[in-house]
Amino acid sequence: MTWMRRTALSAALVAGLAVQAPAEEVKFGLLQDFTAVYTFVTGQYNQGQRDYLTLINEEGGIDGNTFTAIVRDTGNQPQRGIEAYNRAKEEGAILFDFLSTPVSAAILDQAGADARVVITPAHGRGDASDGTVFPYIFPMFATYWAQAANLVEFMKTNGGGIEGKKIAIVHIDSPFGREPLPILDALAEQEGFEYQSFPYASPGNEQSSAWSEVRRYRPDFVLIWGAGGGQAVSVRTAIQNGIAPEQIHSVIWLAETDAANVGPQMKGVKRFEATASGTELPIIQRIQEKVIATGKGSGEEANVGNSYYNLGVATMAVAVEAARLGLEGGEPLTGETLKAGFEKIAGYDAEGLMPPITITAEDHQGGGAGRISEWDGEAWVPVSDWHAAYPELVRKVIEESAAHYGEGN
Amino acid sequence: MFYRLSGTFHTNYQADRKLWKIPADRWLVLTVFALAVLAPFLVSPLYLGSYVLPWIIWSAAALSLTLLMGMAGQLHFGFAAVMAIGAYSSIHLVRAGVPFEIALLLSGIIAAVIGAVFGAAALRVKGLYLVMATLAMQYLVDWVVVNVPWISGGAHATLRTPAVSFLFMDISSLASRYWLALAWAALITVFYLNVKRTSFGRSLVAIRDKDFAAAVIGVDPFKTKLMAFFTSSFLGGVSGAILAFCYYRAVTPEQFGFNVSIQLVAMVLVGGLGSVIGSYLGAGFVLLAPIFLTNLIAGLAASGWVPVSQNFLSHLPLVIYGAMIIGFLLFEPLGLAKIYDNIRKYFLVWPFRHARS
Repeated sequence: MTWMRRTALSAALVAGLAVQAPAEEVKFGLLQDFTAVYTFVTGQYNQGQRDYLTLINEEGGIDGNTFTAIVRDTGNQPQRGIEAYNRAKEEGAILFDFLSTPVSAAILDQAGADARVVITPAHGRGDASDGTVFPYIFPMFATYWAQAANLVEFMKTNGGGIEGKKIAIVHIDSPFGREPLPILDALAEQEGFEYQSFPYASPGNEQSSAWSEVRRYRPDFVLIWGAGGGQAVSVRTAIQNGIAPEQIHSVIWLAETDAANVGPQMKGVKRFEATASGTELPIIQRIQEKVIATGKGSGEEANVGNSYYNLGVATMAVAVEAARLGLEGGEPLTGETLKAGFEKIAGYDAEGLMPPITITAEDHQGGGAGRISEWDGEAWVPVSDWHAAYPELVRKVIEESAAHYGEGN
Repeated sequence: MFYRLSGTFHTNYQADRKLWKIPADRWLVLTVFALAVLAPFLVSPLYLGSYVLPWIIWSAAALSLTLLMGMAGQLHFGFAAVMAIGAYSSIHLVRAGVPFEIALLLSGIIAAVIGAVFGAAALRVKGLYLVMATLAMQYLVDWVVVNVPWISGGAHATLRTPAVSFLFMDISSLASRYWLALAWAALITVFYLNVKRTSFGRSLVAIRDKDFAAAVIGVDPFKTKLMAFFTSSFLGGVSGAILAFCYYRAVTPEQFGFNVSIQLVAMVLVGGLGSVIGSYLGAGFVLLAPIFLTNLIAGLAASGWVPVSQNFLSHLPLVIYGAMIIGFLLFEPLGLAKIYDNIRKYFLVWPFRHARS
């Protein structure tokens, strides 16, 4: 019996050597907040991420490597995030997505020291786009600063010029809500408009006092900067205060659910988007065919094609593309090779799901492109083309803030 | 049998006033302390960094709060704000060039002064009204931290702790951070055990039980209540600084939000008001039970035992956790400390049940 086992073993060894890099299970840690603050997005976002990974596995993986998602709830609590991160790291995860600002902030330095990739798509620090200061952090998509710049540019080109106009920014009173202010300062100076900020208290279930002041300010455009339930309240209260839906422009966090909550009045409201929504996209079609139709989907079928679902798909599309490029060198995937793969991504658009992004060692934002879409009563319809607005200005703010981080903040 | 009471006679005051009168208790405490000191060699970095270290620090925080809530009977629902003041003060002081050892003390004093100012509300109001006053403190401190960029650290409101050393020991490795936190927890524990036996501790208890009765027998409620807030906030402030430097190493306002205050109150209540071991057990339960449950349920789900959606999967641990809190409090309203005490008393005279006190 021993000789049989030995032959079998050596045969297996020879077979293993024949393949260049042995196929492995690549683990991604999707340690997100399913129960506390980010519940408005996490469910659909995570569903999209896992469905895409299932799709890649169904299609044979990347060079035979399959992808596994380690999914845990962190409840938006840093100490639970740290535990989940350490545990997933021990299990071999090489990429992390926390989708939570406090958890990401608590792990930023540690992930760099451990050489693990952290993606912070559409959340987290904008200055992490500077790859020279944050080598392992990848915002990948347009940061809040790029989003604000894109929205202002849209007001300029589609609102008949912006010089001398007034913008009211109504935001949640938190670091996230305050985030667009520095770029608005710079833009106001450059473009000659004026703006005023109107904060409302977190979580934003009640915003009447802020909006009655907005009404007195008589703005030409309104920018709403919040997330979750507060967004629908913003739109509703704005309309009650005589602001036309067409005047309202939103940060990325405005989706189908909010439109359903606001009702028919929502028609005409615009938002920034980093990924296309809907199911008429090649990747989403393939997910429906190979994952959903075969019963391997990770959640409700109704969510497929929603804004946040597609955003989740896009994040994993970029990550898998980075893994593919990282494996090109013939070495197994680690944090380092995955990082190198990310920095090789050039002009990747996930078959039309998002604008082409190019990530370099300096620019981890991937260009910062996006577009504006409008709610037509049933779906989000794009009203501008994919492009990056004021890239030099955004880059300048990123570098200034990153230098500040280098000093300890 | 386990405690071997025979032959242990307290024949003088000194022996009778020992913290742990029974040799078995002393051995237990010494063993636990020795294990705690040796923890960096005994447990993997995963468990040291994600379980033991936060548990020790939150136990210290719960002890600080139980001094106020358990011993002096003053409710405080804004204790995370006290810790925030300590954490932010210590970082800014160290950045300004103050040595870490002194910055720790100063941050405690700053937290104590601000905490005592809000504690002044306790001179006029009691019970639920005091809860409201301390809640106001929580929201005011939150608001100030978020709205003053100089405190919170600018656009992203994240402050990283500078590299420091404590008594010439470099505080950067996990083990050194753990030992510093352990030293602080041990110091608070010894302080708490002894403060119970001082005149200050006795006047706190008198105030808790009935403040005007205490005034009649000569305890000054004004001074005692303020001192209670001052002492507790001092300890809380230093615990906040330890939390920042030894555990998070990057401070954001969300780390000290209202939900953290509620967690601290839960630690004190679930553990047992005013009890030392209760603070440790309560902090362990509130902090670690959700983590254990999340991993347990995720493990069961991965092996196909509970085939449910991720969303339900994430909420299931919370459901069980909530049921456990209610269960413990129904089973023993005086908290985990009382459960420990019952077990200890059972074994104290085991197997002679009839001799139980």
